[in-house]
Amino acid sequence: MEYGNHDAGLRLLRQSPPAGAASASITYVGPAGYGFDPAGGEGIARMVARLVTCAAGPFGRVALARELDRAGATLTSQIAPESAEITIWGPAAGWESLLELLSHAVLRPRFDSEDIERVQRQLRESQLRELTQPAHRAERELFRTIFPLGHPYRETGWGSARSVGRIDRSRLARFHSEHYTAEGGVLVATIPAPLKRLERASARWRGPFARARAPSSLRPRPVPGHRLVREVEMAGRSQTEVHVGGPSIARNREEFPAAFLANEVLGGRPLLSRLFQNIRERAGLAYHASSDLEAMRLGGYWIAQAGTNPGSARRVAALLIGEVDRMGNELVRARELDQIRESAIGEMALSLETTPTAHELAVDLAYHDLPADYWLGWPSTLRALRPRSIREAAALALDGRRAATVLAGPLA
Amino acid sequence: MHTSRVPRPRVRRFRLRNGLEVLLAPNPASPTASVWVWYRVGSKNEHPGITGGAHWLEHMLFQGTPKYAKGEIDRAILSVGGLLNAFTDLDYTAYFATVPREHLDVLIDIEADRMTRALLMPKEVDRERTVVLSEREGNENWPEFRVEEELYELAFRRHPYRWDALGYRTDIEHMGAEDLRGYYRRFYGTRNAVLVVSGGFDPRAVERDVHRQFSPLPAGGADPTVREVEPPARGERRSTLSGPGTTPLIAIAYRSPSIDERSAPATMLIDVLLGGETRIFSAGGRSRSGEHPGARLYRALVDPGLAVRATSEWRARVHPGLFTVYAQASAGVALDRVETAIDGVLDRLARKGPTDAELSEARTKVRRGAALAYEGATRAGYRLGYFASIMPPGFEDRLYRELLATRSSEIRDTARALFSKDQRAVVRYEVVGGLSVD
Repeated sequence: MEYGNHDAGLRLLRQSPPAGAASASITYVGPAGYGFDPAGGEGIARMVARLVTCAAGPFGRVALARELDRAGATLTSQIAPESAEITIWGPAAGWESLLELLSHAVLRPRFDSEDIERVQRQLRESQLRELTQPAHRAERELFRTIFPLGHPYRETGWGSARSVGRIDRSRLARFHSEHYTAEGGVLVATIPAPLKRLERASARWRGPFARARAPSSLRPRPVPGHRLVREVEMAGRSQTEVHVGGPSIARNREEFPAAFLANEVLGGRPLLSRLFQNIRERAGLAYHASSDLEAMRLGGYWIAQAGTNPGSARRVAALLIGEVDRMGNELVRARELDQIRESAIGEMALSLETTPTAHELAVDLAYHDLPADYWLGWPSTLRALRPRSIREAAALALDGRRAATVLAGPLA
Repeated sequence: MHTSRVPRPRVRRFRLRNGLEVLLAPNPASPTASVWVWYRVGSKNEHPGITGGAHWLEHMLFQGTPKYAKGEIDRAILSVGGLLNAFTDLDYTAYFATVPREHLDVLIDIEADRMTRALLMPKEVDRERTVVLSEREGNENWPEFRVEEELYELAFRRHPYRWDALGYRTDIEHMGAEDLRGYYRRFYGTRNAVLVVSGGFDPRAVERDVHRQFSPLPAGGADPTVREVEPPARGERRSTLSGPGTTPLIAIAYRSPSIDERSAPATMLIDVLLGGETRIFSAGGRSRSGEHPGARLYRALVDPGLAVRATSEWRARVHPGLFTVYAQASAGVALDRVETAIDGVLDRLARKGPTDAELSEARTKVRRGAALAYEGATRAGYRLGYFASIMPPGFEDRLYRELLATRSSEIRDTARALFSKDQRAVVRYEVVGGLSVD
């Protein structure tokens, strides 16, 4: 991986596709997440992220779809509280065409009226899904319990029927021009060409995009520090979702590697983690039991979750919080730590199997402004961690004392 | 110019004396190696009383053998950074693991061991019962699962495609270790299995290892052919479900050909024309959020605001299955209007066939979908095993050639035969307990 220059402030990162891979991926990440949704305009970040992949530059909706099909490419968007990612994937030999198509999407979205109306309808259905689907509802209520009003991680970005209904073309265009910027953004390319060629090709990424300043940073408010439990009765479902979670640390904190490993021990490492072993394999209480640590630029959150029979929901909630507390109170045994650690390290090789998986590593690295050799040093970083630092990081980044618990579904 | 073969790694294919079919697809550049075992048995080989047994058994194959105690299979693979999983379909059951290439040996050892020596201890079977029930309950939380389950129940009365691979809840509650053992002894064995090794490895060394590990196994596995033939329906079948959800759903299923029938390529292209892609030849499995604005259903339902999503799906199956059209209504739109619009789309295709431009675009999608289908050891192993488990050698290329050669008139004629209203099943899902998002 190597960083390059773009004179408008857009940071570039290039890497080669894995050996034998025939595809390329290119991603723009910008400060365009739903944490930037203005009051009364909730849903706008998600709308823009969808619309940029619909129609752009000379291509209307159907024409863009045809162009992508001709290129054998897919164009997708992903959105998080702080950022939006627009990714194109397709044949490596045509990477310059892919970059060209991506530039249309990022720089010149059309926001055609029929597309706006359609996406508004789809967002309204997603809003209902968030309220009626226990897994989505549990997550929504968890964030609302953890984070205070105005906090950028409090909302999930779907907005309300009213807020989405108010969003028109001019608002979309303004949000786009303020948030899909060169400054504060990164362009990551997994392509079979040297950096110089990427620099030359991306020099065409100019115009209003390059002149705009990155939006001022989100400012998370302090988070209350006490345990809360919320129960959301949802009749007519078969399973209750139990989510336990709380605020966490930013990615740039020095404790991040230890927090990462603590989460792997807790529930992040499939099949080996404590949540999987204790809740599924020993107790047979759930099909899925896992945890996630989301460490972003400004802060983060963690969630431990399981889906279970309504009659077991409170027991599962107690098991989840018990395992979280154990992480912060007890030292991880050396054998358990070694196993989880070596699994996490060994997985790096699997990330180099295909272009999309290798590309994800590069996007993560570039977005967090990490050194180009960061992943090379990752195994030794993890191997240097001791049980004590894991416990201390768990107490900080997976802090059960500030956790909220949400049960969503039928409640026995 | 384009090739008439799907671009894929070179494959050495052979069969052991005990009937095990082996495919080796080395890629010296790959940092990983993947091992897949596909059994040509799935929920179609169950019967009422043991539905869900094939899937439950799949779970149990991770729960121990005399050589690998409970948890050791997971640990052996995960502790070197590998990934592993399994899945059960109506037609097949597949197990796979991918590891950094230097750890390949252990995967072959595990698969040879658990092909015939899974313990299936009653205590562990019982403990896993609540896990498979939980998996089912998690699915039941989604209206889409309920609709699909009802659709197959409605469309099939005799054929075992009738029930979902997760099985009936009552069967899961009452089955025991002996039932799983019976299925395992009957169907798991070399004659019903395909072993695929793909990625970075020395083919000669792996071939020796495969012989050493698998040749001592006895020839086993009863013929999995399903004899039941679903009789023609005597008219349209309908059902309405209701429950919590967002907006109403409709699913319409038509009896469709099996994968080896002459009309299969045209059916696959109908899927592309109506829904925008076909599962086997989609571009890397990464669609534009499932949106295909050029597809006929999208244009007729989503564009004018009747539905928030609309698509089709044809799953290639060993026996005649279902071609399904799904739509989720926009808020405030009655399902009658959605259904009328769907009927109009299908009727037009059956009367006039696709335009030349549409057919050309569909072929482009198929070609592009095939171009990158084998990237990575895991995906290569999946694809090789999938085709080998359902069809004879060379089938994928034949299908691909036929897809690119299918004419508009063949698609029209196939659509005419396919979309017969008296052979269809229709399931509607009405939402109760409506919510407002303000």
